[in-house]
Amino acid sequence: MNVEITGARIFLRLPFGILITETQVNMWIIMLVIALLCKWLTHNLKIKPAGKRQVVAEYLVTMANNFVVTNMGKSFKSFAPFIGALFTLSLLCSLSGLFGLYPPTADLNTTLGFATVTFVLIMYYKLKTNGLKGYLKGLAEPIPVLAPFNIIGEFSTPISMAIRMFGNISTGVVISTLVYAALAWLSSVVLQWLPGALASIPILQLGLPAILSIYFDLFSSVLQSFIFCMLTVLYIAQEAKSE
Amino acid sequence: MPETLEFLSVNIWSVLMAIGNLLILFLIVKKFLFKPVNDILEKRAEEVDHIYSDAEQMRSEAKANKNIYEEKLKNVKTETDLMIKAATERAENRSEEIIKEATLEAENRKRKAEADILLAKKKAVDDIKDNIVEMVIDLAQQVVEKEINEDVHENLIDDAIEKLGERV
Repeated sequence: MNVEITGARIFLRLPFGILITETQVNMWIIMLVIALLCKWLTHNLKIKPAGKRQVVAEYLVTMANNFVVTNMGKSFKSFAPFIGALFTLSLLCSLSGLFGLYPPTADLNTTLGFATVTFVLIMYYKLKTNGLKGYLKGLAEPIPVLAPFNIIGEFSTPISMAIRMFGNISTGVVISTLVYAALAWLSSVVLQWLPGALASIPILQLGLPAILSIYFDLFSSVLQSFIFCMLTVLYIAQEAKSE
Repeated sequence: MPETLEFLSVNIWSVLMAIGNLLILFLIVKKFLFKPVNDILEKRAEEVDHIYSDAEQMRSEAKANKNIYEEKLKNVKTETDLMIKAATERAENRSEEIIKEATLEAENRKRKAEADILLAKKKAVDDIKDNIVEMVIDLAQQVVEKEINEDVHENLIDDAIEKLGERV
């Protein structure tokens, strides 16, 4: 019995080492779904709410606005669409595993990309608040010898964020793959007395994977997306406020 | 077996693509969800503000009107009081006048009646006088059984009656 755990399937190899993989394609599908959903939610908006659709749209936007304003302050309200996009994209990417797609967030490249955007934003606000000189001086504190550790610390933030999300989502993929394989093996062992093709039906695969999926796909996806957004928001707010 | 990535692999283009996807989705979400909804929320807030300020304005207007009307009502009351007072006064004057006139008229009539009575009395007296004269003359004729010259004796009798009349 061979169980192989691999990354995303490669569909196309373009020049310069550009790869079009399941990750990219699934992400585009999800982006399209989100775009259509936005379009559908917001068409024909009225000042007096005219239906549940508008209530849902307003609820989502208000929630994102409130989340950003509570955690970052009023001056960061323009961040709400970014945080909203980050949350929906990472959430739907993780949840896409439920529909049998390869979750793009189970690909380290994706989470590294998200974390890089957060990192750039954090750096931007750090430099804006302290100035380049102040920032460089800050790296040499409390004593210049610690500067390398401070630099590592700077990069550890996005890397830990990327690996946290990647780890949690890909763990779901790995564990469900392993559980499926194990249950298939168990079925074939337990049911080998059945005649003919009946023995090859992995009947034990019913049930347990669904329960595991509730944790690894649903709960973990929501939690990780929330943590990612929360950390992004808090790091940026912290850098923007620190004098 | 289709070609797959290693479970853990880093490809700089894939990272860049993820960044690009995130930024594109940010623009999509901003343009198609946040902008219209925020616009509509803002418009609604504006409208609510408008409604509130309108209501406030109407309330103050109503209050002002109420004061004006109350003032007017008060004025009306004093005016009616004045009018009633004037009317009563006028009516009183008029009634007094009427009574005075009536009294005057009554007096006039009384006076006239008295005059009439006097006249009637006088006339009655005169009539009686004449009758008596005739009667006396008749009587005298019968008594003396001869014609009396009326012209001769009339004055005599008249004097007598006059004296009689004065006594009456």
